[in-house]
Amino acid sequence: MQSSENGVESRNEVAEGEQHILNFLDSVDSYLILMDSLSSALRQGWLELASARHSMGASRVNCALFDLKSHHASTTVQVNNDLPHFKLCKWASSDDPEKYSEEGKFEEDELFQNKSDGPRHRHQELQEKRTEEGGASPVGTDNQIQKLFLQAQKERFKTLSMFGTLVSPKLRATQLSFETALEMLVEISNTRASLLHAYDQVQKDRTNPK
Amino acid sequence: MYGFEALTFNIHGGYLEAIVRGYRSGLLTAADYNNLCQCETLDDIKMHLSATEYGSYLQNEPSPLHTTTIVEKCTLKLVDEYKHMLAQATEPLSTFLEYITYGHMIDNVVLIVTGTLHERDVQELLEKCHPLGMFDSIATLAVAQNMRELYRLVLVDTPLAPYFSECITSEDLDDMNIEIMRNTLYKAYLEDFYRFCKTLGGATAEIMSDLLAFEADRRAVNITINSIGTELTRDDRRKLYSNFGLLYPYGHEELAVCEDIDQVRAAMEKYPPYQSIFSKLSYGESQMLDKAFYEEEVKRLCLAFEQQFHYGVFFAYMRLREQEIRNLMWISECVAQNQKSRVHDSVVFIF
Repeated sequence: MQSSENGVESRNEVAEGEQHILNFLDSVDSYLILMDSLSSALRQGWLELASARHSMGASRVNCALFDLKSHHASTTVQVNNDLPHFKLCKWASSDDPEKYSEEGKFEEDELFQNKSDGPRHRHQELQEKRTEEGGASPVGTDNQIQKLFLQAQKERFKTLSMFGTLVSPKLRATQLSFETALEMLVEISNTRASLLHAYDQVQKDRTNPK
Repeated sequence: MYGFEALTFNIHGGYLEAIVRGYRSGLLTAADYNNLCQCETLDDIKMHLSATEYGSYLQNEPSPLHTTTIVEKCTLKLVDEYKHMLAQATEPLSTFLEYITYGHMIDNVVLIVTGTLHERDVQELLEKCHPLGMFDSIATLAVAQNMRELYRLVLVDTPLAPYFSECITSEDLDDMNIEIMRNTLYKAYLEDFYRFCKTLGGATAEIMSDLLAFEADRRAVNITINSIGTELTRDDRRKLYSNFGLLYPYGHEELAVCEDIDQVRAAMEKYPPYQSIFSKLSYGESQMLDKAFYEEEVKRLCLAFEQQFHYGVFFAYMRLREQEIRNLMWISECVAQNQKSRVHDSVVFIF
């Protein structure tokens, strides 16, 4: 009786160890996919910036126009002790001190799903998978979503206004590409934290075989 | 009387027309662009350009090169050629040549004012100004707080002074006011240039009217597309369109109420010259619109050289050189970013 119980326990422990290894491998896969997506997003962003410069002229798109006056950060990163460690709060209104919630950001991302390319699509699959695993669900009515979207658009235009208020759609596309890259950076940071956590688990299982 | 320029044009303009036609023969050909598009590094581009008229301007630049360096040196060549022609020109050609640079002057004024608003160093801003648009008191633009001061302290003694009558206010300068100022000045400049060319008469008036009308129409389309989704009202948008061109006035009325690119397309396709431009684009797309307009512009500029004894060749040459510099900038960026597959997205062949 006792030996069969011990057998069951050891099988459970082996299964748990294998699950840790699978988690680690999943984290590595996610990390590599995100790094590839980040590289693509940045490449696209830089080329779109060159295209905007070509369209609008070098005098309208250059580093001498960056605003050196002190102003509120439109996007911030919150650092937590729990997983996920990093949360991106995008397009906080400079008029309203209440910042965007992570759920609000997720709703806005849904509205931009029509901007699709390979890496972006893979990134969204990852994000949806994390959301399903975390149990988070989109909140807010359609009106709230629309309001959040308009607020984000307003803040985007305000940020871009350092290059002028009538800018080419190519410059707006550049802004979106770098915004996507910023989201991926935060996602990579969280994935890296998960990866290191999973690695610690695997190492623990190796050094303390049960 | 139109058609009799051959009797008198060469007395004052013959030498410079020959000079500008010589300059035109130095423009890069399709073979040059094919070689440049196959370059792996910016040093390769420099090597290929050393065999062209840009060679002497780039030969002393040390490696590693930057794309802005290539553009700056190529622009210097254009500036030198322009100054040579201006120094040799008599009236009214000298005034005509000065008109060509007023657009750059407006860009420089807006750059200095915007940069000052953003608390940038004036010296840094002056380095970014286009050399064709420089004037003596440009650095003092940094002290102005509103448009009235801008005009009173600096611009009253510049060629841009007459264009300020429509936009002088005492409101402090901010991003929206500066944008409206930019477009209002450019509108006034284009209309003034158009009127001046009409007074010259003959082939100059006919050819320049076509080229400036195209410029005005293209500006109207760009203003419309760039203002979609912004706070610019329909009335304000309408006020920024020039009062001449193929689209004036009915096309402007339609463009003023457009809310997306498809409505712009619907408004423009009623005009046969622009129907061919928009037929190259797919629905909802605006990325290739710039290239389509540039291609049409280059076609019209090249046609200006088919006729003699008019000033349009000078305007056409300056614009073709600027297009060539844009091409070189794009090729350099694609090579520097290792994106050579995208190089043909924006290069417009001249010959």
